[in-house]
Amino acid sequence: MKEPVHKPKYPYAWGVVMAAIAGLYFYLTTTGNKFPEPGPNLEYDITALLAVDQVDTRFAETGEITPAVEMPRALKTDASGNIYIGGKDAIAVYDASGKEIERIPVDGAVTCLDFTPDGRLLAGLDDRVALIGTDRKIEAVWGDFTARSLITAIAAGEDEIFLADAASRCVLRIDYNGTVLNRIGETDEARDVPGLEVPSPYFDLAFDSDGHLWVVNPGKLGLERYRSNGDIVTSWYRADVTRLDSFSGCCNPVQIAFNSEGRLVTGEKGPVRVKIFEVTSGEFEELVVGSSAFQLPQGIGDLAVDPDDRILVLDPKKNSVRIFEANETKMAAKPNTQ
Amino acid sequence: MSERKKIDRRDFMRFTGAAAFTGATWMAVGEKAEAKYWQLDPAKCTQCGQCTTHCVLNPSAVKCLNQFDICGYCDLCFGYLQPGSRDLDSGAENQLCPTAAIERKYIEAPYYEYKIHEDKCIGCAKCVKACLIFGNGSFYLQIRQDICINCNECSIAKSCPSDCFSEVPQSQPYMFLTGDTYLAHPPALS
Repeated sequence: MKEPVHKPKYPYAWGVVMAAIAGLYFYLTTTGNKFPEPGPNLEYDITALLAVDQVDTRFAETGEITPAVEMPRALKTDASGNIYIGGKDAIAVYDASGKEIERIPVDGAVTCLDFTPDGRLLAGLDDRVALIGTDRKIEAVWGDFTARSLITAIAAGEDEIFLADAASRCVLRIDYNGTVLNRIGETDEARDVPGLEVPSPYFDLAFDSDGHLWVVNPGKLGLERYRSNGDIVTSWYRADVTRLDSFSGCCNPVQIAFNSEGRLVTGEKGPVRVKIFEVTSGEFEELVVGSSAFQLPQGIGDLAVDPDDRILVLDPKKNSVRIFEANETKMAAKPNTQ
Repeated sequence: MSERKKIDRRDFMRFTGAAAFTGATWMAVGEKAEAKYWQLDPAKCTQCGQCTTHCVLNPSAVKCLNQFDICGYCDLCFGYLQPGSRDLDSGAENQLCPTAAIERKYIEAPYYEYKIHEDKCIGCAKCVKACLIFGNGSFYLQIRQDICINCNECSIAKSCPSDCFSEVPQSQPYMFLTGDTYLAHPPALS
């Protein structure tokens, strides 16, 4: 009698299962993906936030200067178009083409620069200010303005100098003897002064083309205009991380300057963006350069505009001063402010 | 007058053996043999989030710290708030942290203190990345040595894409973020 033959129902099933187990073992032991990756709730995706500035701009990067000073932190241009870069123990001076023409030694780290109306140079040195004559000799060094100062910006007038003091969170108005005349920007409900919010060592101020003093209120993400006596004249704030016509981050804009037409040029840290605004209304006009041109993590050291309206940006990550120029033949793209 | 004792061969061997034993013991328990702890370098961390999922502990032994001398005490804190939050308050819908491990405490107008509750923190680094991009970068990750069981081979270190884990001596178990180190070596981003 012939015995029945028991044929397996799925003769290759065991082989497939064993091959799958071997493949899984190989995958887990060679790729390192033994555990699931963090899910979307545990990720901080900034793609959409950075994409806010992905618009056409009529500005292009046309030049670059590598500073010959250590730890460059201050940038300024004079009426001739020369470029002053302040850093540790020195200020390097370049002509408009980027050729170094002078080196001014100073005692300390330069945090900010400005020129007096008669052409002398003022250099902020953390908690002091040095007045440097046209012969490059130190004429005076002023300090002890407050118990704790960090001078981050200077704006010099005929008889008075305004210092942005990030540590004291106010603007100090001093005379040309270094005496503090009054403090500006401290909360004063009687005068409707809301108070400057300065959460980080980024605090800037500048005169506009009419000689009005504009002070950044970085914690409120806007600007305020003050009189010398501390009265606030006007203010505007733009805080929205999702809009190009507003400022992102916790404290912006970190740098401001004015071009020859009196338009406000702002520089933001975090995602670096350089923009142009109409200063009185705070209306956004156009983007100069967006975050895609800078390496992460992004920051901005200082900002200046030369007499030809070239916009100079001190890029600390790249250790260079980057120069942006408008292409006049190219119309400014309508900004995506939605 | 006492007679000077001569060192014989046996005493010399005993002395030499004792000295060798003492030296070997010092080598074994001395500085070179100091216990090591795993720690991550905040300057190399890219906030990939894998500290949450790759630690053998659940929740992870990696916790967020806030370096208060770098913190801006911002009202608009991106480490605490969801980007684009309409209200700057502690409403659950506004908080960035998936486990609500950050406490926002009013200090004085308009400044707030942000304290991490480490029992809730899972080391996802969302706040670290947000603060680094938009703020002062005061949040950073560290392995809490009182929680870490100090595996022979740290499973997070094995998978860390930025190679920021290393073994540190027991006497210096943390790599604190300071203003100077931050300026010299700003933390990386993924």
